[in-house]
Amino acid sequence: MRRAVAAAAAAVAFAVVVWLGYRGLYDVTYAQSIVDDLLDGLVVTLVAVAVVIPVGLVVGFSFGWARTTRSWVLRATGTTYVEFFRSMPPLVLIVFSSLVIGLLLRAYLYVENPFVIALGVGMLALALHSGSYQAEIVRAGILSVPTGQVEAAEALGLTRVQTMFRVTLPQAFRVSLPALGNEFAVVIKDTSLISAIGGLELSFQGTILVNSAIRLNLNYVFIIWVEIALLYFVLTTIVTLAVRKVENRYGVPGLEAAAL
Amino acid sequence: MIQVRQVHKSYGDLHVLKGVNLEIAKGQVMCMIGPSGSGKSTLLRCINLLVHPDQGDIYIGDVRITSPEIRPEWVRQQVGMVFQSFNLFTHLTALKNVLLGLTRVKKMDSEEARRKATWELQRVGLGDKLDSYPAQLSGGQQQRVAIARALAMDPKAMLFDEPTSALDPEYIHEVLDVMTQLANEGMTMLVVTHEMGFAKNAASEVVFMDQGQIVEHGTPAEIFERPGHDRTKAFVSKILG
Repeated sequence: MRRAVAAAAAAVAFAVVVWLGYRGLYDVTYAQSIVDDLLDGLVVTLVAVAVVIPVGLVVGFSFGWARTTRSWVLRATGTTYVEFFRSMPPLVLIVFSSLVIGLLLRAYLYVENPFVIALGVGMLALALHSGSYQAEIVRAGILSVPTGQVEAAEALGLTRVQTMFRVTLPQAFRVSLPALGNEFAVVIKDTSLISAIGGLELSFQGTILVNSAIRLNLNYVFIIWVEIALLYFVLTTIVTLAVRKVENRYGVPGLEAAAL
Repeated sequence: MIQVRQVHKSYGDLHVLKGVNLEIAKGQVMCMIGPSGSGKSTLLRCINLLVHPDQGDIYIGDVRITSPEIRPEWVRQQVGMVFQSFNLFTHLTALKNVLLGLTRVKKMDSEEARRKATWELQRVGLGDKLDSYPAQLSGGQQQRVAIARALAMDPKAMLFDEPTSALDPEYIHEVLDVMTQLANEGMTMLVVTHEMGFAKNAASEVVFMDQGQIVEHGTPAEIFERPGHDRTKAFVSKILG
């Protein structure tokens, strides 16, 4: 049954491509000619994803945990962080970071061209932004662990730190995974915003191609964006499947969701 | 073995413990009864410092555990605790629930810890459930894992906080059997329970607690059959039904 559905979906997709070709919208020679440029952009996007997701995760775990501690200073810090970065559109944050860091670099390190650091600044801004979302995901995960288990761990003689790492976090992580996977999918697509400050990632490469293609044939523009969309789709699918693998590994027998 | 002297504890305006005194001898099994909100759970939690008393002193053996130099982690290794709601670590198997304290607190090497944990689980009749997760076990089995987990730390005394109150009636006896066996082996135990059968079989003393104070104590027969205090009479007649 599942194979039949997948085959049908593939057939429909194939039919759409054939139809588009028939309408003159899919010039295979042109489609092949842009692959190299787009792959250059994909590499940069991959780097951004590979940096933003782990850094965002560390930021998320730190601030998410901070908001669940008994110390009001840590809680206030966590809340301030989350509210600040969550209220800012990622595009604004990226542009603003680029301006501020560019200014600092020019003033103190005499770097003239801020574009060289565009990718770095963009990744930092996105990691801080995503971290604020992940902090809330992690906080929800931590709150899902019954306090009785923390009490039991302390009653055994485990220290607070041991309780955190052996009892609370593993369970919070398990509960957080589906929401984290969701956030990772968002992060992958948000990396396209780095183009706003000149980071040469996938969608910026696309824009460059579009600028030259638009004078030749409007159909080329369509082809470019279809290929970009496909690459994002593949990237997101890979990350989603990876998260599902981790979910299965952390699954606890007897705690599976009820099948409806 | 355990001495509680003039212990007070308040939460805000709520005065939960109002000068409690209690003494449990080595090897003694003491049962504690009393209405909900009377302070039984709080008193138990003071004895392993899950709750720190505001006033008064608690001794385990010769050590004054309420002294600020005492590490709470040390105290908790001296007294094991079993909870009403089991509180097993749901992401770990029965065996790993028991192993956690052995490897992380007692720093035992893994081979020795595994042998000890397996033995503790066999002792509570769960030798065939080592690799089961808590969600795959009945309430009675979960509570027995919790008892094994506490016993594995070789505590000098055990605290039980209504260990059978959350259980279906069919599973109560298997937990009480394990506790009775433990009592017969000479473990020092303080048990908050309303299981009269257990109190009569295993306990040498029953204390009745109400409104943050110990109202009356005596043998099970004295408390259940000839209570001296009006509040004890009223409560005992309620739980006898």
